[in-house]
Amino acid sequence: MYCVKQWFGLVMALSLVGCGDLADDLNPSDHDQRPAVTAGTLGNQPGQLAVDFSLATSTATTFQLSNHLAGGSQPVDAVVLYFTMWCPICLAHSDHMFNSVIPQFQARGTVVYALVDYVSGSVVASRAAEMANGYAGSVFVTLVDDQRAVMDQFNAAMGSVIVIAADGTIVMNEDYRNGDALMTNLDALLP
Amino acid sequence: MTTRSSPPVKRQPRLLCLPGVVALFFSGNVLAASCCGGGSSTSLVLPKFSQAMIDVSFDYESYNGFWKSDGNWAADPTGSDLKQYRLNLGYAQRLAPRWQASISAPYVWNQNQYASFERNTDGMGDAKLSIWYEQFDKIACVWKVKDWRDLIPAVYWGGTLTVPTGTSPYDDVTDNFDITGLGFYRLDANVLVDKTVYPWNATFSASYGKYLERPVNREYGAYVEPYDKQRGDRLNASLSFGYTYFTDNMESLTGTVAYSYLQEDEARIDGVIDTTSALRKRSIATTIAWATDDRDWVTKITWSHAPARDGWGKNFPATDVITIGVSHVLR
Repeated sequence: MYCVKQWFGLVMALSLVGCGDLADDLNPSDHDQRPAVTAGTLGNQPGQLAVDFSLATSTATTFQLSNHLAGGSQPVDAVVLYFTMWCPICLAHSDHMFNSVIPQFQARGTVVYALVDYVSGSVVASRAAEMANGYAGSVFVTLVDDQRAVMDQFNAAMGSVIVIAADGTIVMNEDYRNGDALMTNLDALLP
Repeated sequence: MTTRSSPPVKRQPRLLCLPGVVALFFSGNVLAASCCGGGSSTSLVLPKFSQAMIDVSFDYESYNGFWKSDGNWAADPTGSDLKQYRLNLGYAQRLAPRWQASISAPYVWNQNQYASFERNTDGMGDAKLSIWYEQFDKIACVWKVKDWRDLIPAVYWGGTLTVPTGTSPYDDVTDNFDITGLGFYRLDANVLVDKTVYPWNATFSASYGKYLERPVNREYGAYVEPYDKQRGDRLNASLSFGYTYFTDNMESLTGTVAYSYLQEDEARIDGVIDTTSALRKRSIATTIAWATDDRDWVTKITWSHAPARDGWGKNFPATDVITIGVSHVLR
């Protein structure tokens, strides 16, 4: 029995130490390790300028970021991008945005709220997901990031929310969490 | 003159009562979901008077849509096929006549086809360290109820520490499909009440867990402004009923049905409630377990099913889990 226990203990220990990255969760850090960025340079960090992009929408039109920035054909005060895969967490976030955030800023300036669908892979599938989840015809525009190019551009993941000011400056790029940071940033941006 | 032989009489089994065959794996099969964090292992409960136990099991979990925050079920996008496989290793050791401890850890494989998105990953899940106190000295399994004392159940009190050995959203990962753990320590208080009057058995188990708050400075591989996060308290309860059939050789075959309930309260971010985060799941399970006559080896298969119907969950995936496992008790 002793041998069996020793062998089993060894396997358990090896399985625990054999994987990297454990320390990040076992001893989590509160150090700010964000890279230093130069304001006004192109990039995906807050303070940097967003690179222009163009995506099809779920209704087969084209959304070009620069059209909605200052000097564009349909300028707004802010563009909000939310990266969704239509999962329970994503829908909890977008429902919260729809029910709690958007109404709060409805009377202040103009904002484009976009759901960036990076999983459906086509306009038709994205439209189907949008309709199935009750967002068809809503204030949201659904963007079809079929090549995940915009996702990569912003180094985004499920639940990432990006806020871009009218001059193209990224003011927020992080997980949606409870929506507080989004509201704080919109409050600071909108007239 | 011939004598008629007596009809075969089944021997009574050695009273090596397993704490409800299902309860050997306390609070299992309720956490997975690579999009929501998962890969939790189970914690083990050692039978009375045994010295140690080794447990190996394999889970196959398939996803079948999810419940939205209003409790309504929704299908996954067309073309989705999400699966998680977990190999669980566990070891339990008796410390004293009434005390025992155990460790269990899973290794997780995520196999994700989500609409047009395909990604397969693997890694350690979150491990569990448990300690249990047995509030009884004699085996509480009986064949006949002769007086009221025969109805006293076996009661176990326990504590479990979940250790974030898995890959969480706060590690250096690319996206949510890499996740095999939640990234938080959690302390659970457990109770397990088990009564067997052969051939019938009933078990109730419950745990209430509190996550420890942690700082977060990275999300899905990207460093962010640090903040503090605490997941909501977790309640997990299960009620099961079983029937045991003994063969002539006193091997046993036990069938069990169980109902499980899981809920987690809202998380807090820098002390502010995250109203998008609470979750809930109800599921039903059936188990068939085969034990040798000395109860030293138990082989079992469990099917846990969360009905893909409105009202059975909230903010969580609906899944089916099939678990095949073997436990070896060392006397």
